[in-house]
Amino acid sequence: MDMNIETPEDQNEENSRRVQVRFKTKLKPPQKVPSNSIAIPSNLTRFGLSSVVNNLLQAVNPEWKSEPFDFLINGELVRMSLEQFLLAKGISAEKVLEIEYIKAVAPQKEEEPSLHDDWVSAVDGSNPGFILTGCYDNLGRVWKAGGVCTHILEGHCGAVSSVNIIKSDVCFAACAGLKYVTVATASKDQTLRLWKVCSGSWDCTISLWRTNDSDAAGNQVSIKKRKGNNQVEEPQLEGEAISTLVGHTQCVSSVVWPQQETIYSASWDHSVRTWDVEMGKDLSDIFCGKALNCIDIGGEGSALIAAGGSDPILRIWDPRKPGTSAPVFQFSSHNSWISACKWHNKSWFHLISASYDGKVMLWDLRTAWPLSVIDSHKDKVLCADWWRGDSVISGGVDSKLCVSSGVSIQ
Amino acid sequence: MRERKKSSAVEVSSVKKKKEKKTKDNNEPREQKEKEESQSIMKQQKNTTSRSKKEKQRKTTEDYESLRESELSGDEVHGTDRDVDNADDHHEEDQTDGSEGHRGVEESDSSEDEVAPRNTIGDVPLEWYKDEKHIGYDISGKKITKKERQDKLASFLANVDDSKSWRKIYDEYNDEEVELTKEEIRLVQRLLKGKAPHTDFDQYADYVDWFKYDDALHPLSNAPEPKRRFIPSKWESKKVVQYVRAIRKGLIKFDEPKEEEPKFYLLWGDDSSAAEKAKHLAYIPAPKPKLPGHEESYNPSLEYIPTQEELNSYQLMYEEDRPKFIPRRFTSLRSVPAYENAVKDSFERCMDLYLCPRVRKKRVNIDPETLKPKLPSRKDLKPYPVACYLEYKGHKGAVVSISTEASGQWFASGSTDGTVRIWEVESGRCLRVLEIGEAIQYVAWNPLPELPVLAVSVGQDVLILNTGLGNEEEQRRVKDLLHVETPTAPDDNMASIVSWLQHDKLDGIRLRHFKMVSSVEWHRRGDYLSTVMPAGESRAIFMHQLSKKLSHRIPFKLHGLPVSSVFHPTRSIFFVSTKKNIRVYDLLKQRLIKKLETGLKEVSSIAIHPAGDNLIVGSREGKLCWFDMDLSSKPYRVLKCHPKDITNVAFHRSYPLFASCSDDCTAYVFHGMVYSDLNQNPLIVPLEILRGHTSSNGRGVMDCKFHPRQPWLFTAGADSVIRLYCH
Repeated sequence: MDMNIETPEDQNEENSRRVQVRFKTKLKPPQKVPSNSIAIPSNLTRFGLSSVVNNLLQAVNPEWKSEPFDFLINGELVRMSLEQFLLAKGISAEKVLEIEYIKAVAPQKEEEPSLHDDWVSAVDGSNPGFILTGCYDNLGRVWKAGGVCTHILEGHCGAVSSVNIIKSDVCFAACAGLKYVTVATASKDQTLRLWKVCSGSWDCTISLWRTNDSDAAGNQVSIKKRKGNNQVEEPQLEGEAISTLVGHTQCVSSVVWPQQETIYSASWDHSVRTWDVEMGKDLSDIFCGKALNCIDIGGEGSALIAAGGSDPILRIWDPRKPGTSAPVFQFSSHNSWISACKWHNKSWFHLISASYDGKVMLWDLRTAWPLSVIDSHKDKVLCADWWRGDSVISGGVDSKLCVSSGVSIQ
Repeated sequence: MRERKKSSAVEVSSVKKKKEKKTKDNNEPREQKEKEESQSIMKQQKNTTSRSKKEKQRKTTEDYESLRESELSGDEVHGTDRDVDNADDHHEEDQTDGSEGHRGVEESDSSEDEVAPRNTIGDVPLEWYKDEKHIGYDISGKKITKKERQDKLASFLANVDDSKSWRKIYDEYNDEEVELTKEEIRLVQRLLKGKAPHTDFDQYADYVDWFKYDDALHPLSNAPEPKRRFIPSKWESKKVVQYVRAIRKGLIKFDEPKEEEPKFYLLWGDDSSAAEKAKHLAYIPAPKPKLPGHEESYNPSLEYIPTQEELNSYQLMYEEDRPKFIPRRFTSLRSVPAYENAVKDSFERCMDLYLCPRVRKKRVNIDPETLKPKLPSRKDLKPYPVACYLEYKGHKGAVVSISTEASGQWFASGSTDGTVRIWEVESGRCLRVLEIGEAIQYVAWNPLPELPVLAVSVGQDVLILNTGLGNEEEQRRVKDLLHVETPTAPDDNMASIVSWLQHDKLDGIRLRHFKMVSSVEWHRRGDYLSTVMPAGESRAIFMHQLSKKLSHRIPFKLHGLPVSSVFHPTRSIFFVSTKKNIRVYDLLKQRLIKKLETGLKEVSSIAIHPAGDNLIVGSREGKLCWFDMDLSSKPYRVLKCHPKDITNVAFHRSYPLFASCSDDCTAYVFHGMVYSDLNQNPLIVPLEILRGHTSSNGRGVMDCKFHPRQPWLFTAGADSVIRLYCH
């Protein structure tokens, strides 16, 4: 009789093989499960594993609210059923399998989009206090969380194509709209400071601009804060480029300056070049065969180069790897050009990419599938960045600045 | 019969030997002689046939009595083997009759006729009867049974006892023993000695000359022998000399001994083999009818029986496609009905054999793959535009023409909705909209990067517009350049045709022509531009100089409706395409250099390779001609690819690529490599068909242009969308 009463689920479990697993984590105690090994059916997927862990946590703490987890076996994220994963990786199911679980990385909520007057061309979220955006209506804007525009930076006569925040209290906007670079910084302490910056341009060169602190003293401008008329009056500071890095044969689409002495640049001539600032020479170049739009440095030891360009593949190179210029990772879930890519500044594994197909994707180096796809834009996404370490901000052709928050990265 | 004869003779000889042994003691020399004789005879017997032996006998007894001879011949006629016995009988008779003479022999001849041979089996080997109980048949057809054979021991004992046993001979044919008489033995002995068989026959009788006559001394003819009998023939020797010379010269060849061909042949070989073909001049074997298979069986396996569905599907087929025979099952062979089509089938077969002309098809055994031109694989020819990633939307009418800026950062497009738009390539943003108000014919961006000026042809006007791009210094220069003073009229004639005016609304110059302008083309220096007016007849093509604000008419006769014009990329050469031909002019020397014959019905567009020696021409019938101007005035290659009109063709500035776009909503991308080695012809490889546009009012893709630096292709569609195809 007992045999007959068995539910179909039980039968399924009977039919499938069981694997001895032990869950471990680096998470703090309320999320820690007891470390004794248990047997679970091998046909469980990520969802099943997640519910197992949640059940275990509930057994310890009855007030535990279940939340999604991601699972790592030998440093790779599980994206199929456990059995298939073990088969694919050739891992023995005889031994006790150690599965590390981490919090699932996915934006928890979408905040209200901040509307602009025109296309949002650039966004920077390196300051946790505010977001700086550049727009095609020649203005830069400073946003507080929650879609409140605090400042409008005016002064450019062409579309702002790139913005960058340099220090925590200083914001800086560079516009390469019409072949001349305006350097403007504005800060909360109502002083302008000009910093050493670099820029890439359509004339195939990268220019280094020096701006002195000493000049800044004479360029102090007060900000008139009035209701509905937030303006920053700023001077035009035309400086000579102190050095020009020549080597690219086509327009330089993106530059990053992560360290004191090296500059990385991506160009439409299909190459990524590394420059020595002092020498003004290129140290190495990587050719990828596609025109590149964006570049960022980060990841393990802040050495991996991520770049996207005129095809739907996000490529990641490791310049420390000798003798090869083949990318170490290729992520190809996008459908169109990649317009922006950014590493998470704390995590070694996470990066985002924005594409003209209107999607922002969140990637983990440990799996080839995107962790999550943010599909909040209606049209091309032109720029994307991390903000406060747990939000993804992106701007696009639909004139919106979208903020997806609640990304939990340890 | 012969064998029998031999064996009997051997028996005779063996008998004789026995006898010799017996008489050994009596006289040695005689016996010796006999032995030799017998040996020689035995040899003779072995070598010769009985008939020849008989003839020998006859020879030896040449002068035997004639009757005796006739008797022997009578024996021959009978063909029996009794002759020896009979002869012996006769000898006995002779012996008995003594001096009775020839008459007695004659009587015995008749009596011998009466005694027929007992066995009538005729001349057949006796071995045939070896296992039978009888040895043959007598004259009345009864079987002659074999006699009981004595066993060896009994016969030996009998031989020992019987003193006459050595004279007995076994006659196999009649299956009986015959005892020879003493006279017969003597006769045999005489024969063996080579003497005449009868003692009374005189071997050496006197010669009787039967032909003796009196005048035997005289010859029949008394004429002397002619001389020619004794001298060699003159003509013969001449002939011999002739032959000898011919042989020495090698004129006469002696037949070499023919090699014998093997007589065997392939029994199961095909009739239409090569050897067969060689033998017969034009033998074509009739086609063989199909042999019946399993399905023609009266009780085929189930898998051959068509199901009801299949039978129904046969009904839907055409009559000639239907299977001729539908297999059916019968429980036994006798329940199979008569084949109703038997007569029809055989009649058709006969008609096939009779009427069907059989032609030997010369099939050349060539691998079709080898006939294909050896083209490099597409993978090796990367990069080339493959997929569309960006679309530039904003126009409300069909986009007629596009033009890229020299650096590749922007491009301009003109549409039938009366606007010119300037786009940023990278982001797809429309930077500027220039409202012209009339359907645009053509846009052309100045090739100089520092002169961001756009030439737009609208109806009868050509507008030279400032795009507003570039830095301030450039803008200042452009503004200076695009300023026209009050229109001066140096030449009334000229002024009525072309006039330079300042454009009122937009920042630019308006060049007023007297007819519709179809296309505008910039010179590479950016100062000159040419305009084509198809309806302008002798004043169809103008050359304008921007810096001096001057216009010239091209002083050449065109012989046809002009379609478009293009400047040579490096030299001062100018190409004008009319509907059928392309004319190449030297602008410095002011003369016609070449006329290229396209062989097309209507040329629609023309593009020149950046090296300047190759030209592609698109036509309204969908054909694309590649001209190598070093080769000939005929097309080097004609590519028939588009099913509809080709609207435009384009070369890439740096990559070895060219493209054609057509009203069938596709654009084709080709690899067109021109080698600097003059001996090597250009390599043309079709690469990709780019789709994506939709048809609108029967028009598809109106224009295509390559990005100046990237292997990307812009296509302007009648569906008001511009697409960018990237690698």
